[in-house]
Amino acid sequence: MKKTALTIALTALVINLSAQKLSTRSGKVKFFSDAKIENIEAVNKQVSSVMDLASGKFAFLVPIRGFVFEKALMQEHFNENYLESDQYPNATFKGRIANTEAIKLNKNGEYQLKLKGKMKMHGVENPFSEEVTLTVKDEQVHLHSQFYLKASDYQVEIPAGKKDNINNRLEVTVNIDYDK
Amino acid sequence: MAWGLCLTLFQVQAQDDLLAQLEEEAEEQTRYTIATFKGTKVVNLQSNEMPAEGVLQYTFMHRFGAFNNDFFYNFLGLDNAQVMLTLDYSPYDWLNVGLGHTGFLKTYHAYAKYRLLRQSEGQQSSPVSVTGFSAAYYSAQRYNDDLPRNTANRMRYVNELVIARKFSSDFSMELVPTLVHSNLVEEVSDNNSVFALGVAGRYKITNMHAISLEYVHQFNPNQYLDPATNTLKNYSNNLSIGYVIETGGHVFHLFVSNARGIAEPYVFAENTGSWADGDLHFGFNISRVFTLKKPEKLR
Repeated sequence: MKKTALTIALTALVINLSAQKLSTRSGKVKFFSDAKIENIEAVNKQVSSVMDLASGKFAFLVPIRGFVFEKALMQEHFNENYLESDQYPNATFKGRIANTEAIKLNKNGEYQLKLKGKMKMHGVENPFSEEVTLTVKDEQVHLHSQFYLKASDYQVEIPAGKKDNINNRLEVTVNIDYDK
Repeated sequence: MAWGLCLTLFQVQAQDDLLAQLEEEAEEQTRYTIATFKGTKVVNLQSNEMPAEGVLQYTFMHRFGAFNNDFFYNFLGLDNAQVMLTLDYSPYDWLNVGLGHTGFLKTYHAYAKYRLLRQSEGQQSSPVSVTGFSAAYYSAQRYNDDLPRNTANRMRYVNELVIARKFSSDFSMELVPTLVHSNLVEEVSDNNSVFALGVAGRYKITNMHAISLEYVHQFNPNQYLDPATNTLKNYSNNLSIGYVIETGGHVFHLFVSNARGIAEPYVFAENTGSWADGDLHFGFNISRVFTLKKPEKLR
């Protein structure tokens, strides 16, 4: 009898916990480089992310192979020569979003929040903090953020001959719709 | 005791690492291997690579004259070089079709390359990639002999089954069972179908540079009359050593090979060049790709 009660209590707790946890596997990350000779854009629609609204814990994972470029050869060079996705298949972020407990899922609204944690890419980890916008619409949570990353901070070297083709400073746009 | 364990377990789960959970999930996803070889050919053998969907590829291949044939008089063989041009397009990710021409026996050819299996890890995993290549060759050469040179007799066919594996980011290898069929052969005793097995590998020295090696062994080679010795000799097996340089939009492939003809039937089953005699040729393949159709996923 006691055991059953405990099981029920535990199950309830787990359900409760998972109810506050938002996740998706189809988030979008886009990056854009504008250099003298050309602009390069790549889109990744296979971003997975989990957010725990109770604790503010937040993580995302970007499979490097998931980036699609306009030119297939560019995509190959990006994987083979720059991000070395055989060795470093994913870019990840792990950290916290402040004040997520203030978010009301049952009411439409927009929240400007602070994100802080560690970004890891190409085997290099750097501290990272940025503003993110969380939007609640019809009980669905959307996360948006735009920021700049420097390739050199992650030991992604752009050879001297390619400096006019690829900008070391990349504009990154994150758009994540969490599953309901 | 059991409850304690239960609670501990629960606690672990409660403060669980969200990222670890994502990484675990990512491990399970199917991940396809990319860039097993640079370029769609190793040297003379096909690689498992195909241009992506919507990409038009133009290749320009050259074989210079032999080292042992007045090499310097012929400007390092450049003066009697053979050329082959091909143009191909991938209407789908798994299919590539193309046309080509080479001056050797005035040969025109049409080909199709099709992906059957992709090397992958995760949920759906495969240790190798398997790609088929089928081509038909028509020789428009003018002859002054008694043989029936009708259209059917001017045809040759090649089928290659490329079984490739990328062992590490630097090292890839492939095995290529090959069948060369000629509708017309010189002697009654000659085989119309020659079976061969190709082996090729590439090793990356840097991200942009690689060396490659290929060998194609015939199991039932035909013979030819060697004018120098006036004896019958087996057609040679093809051995080539290459160096690959990659720039932004091009792949340059420089190599030394004992094959002079560039089209597959001549390289694999009608090659008279021998490494031992110094009957070697410098050569290069250059490819250039043009994206005609942007990937759908980009939108």
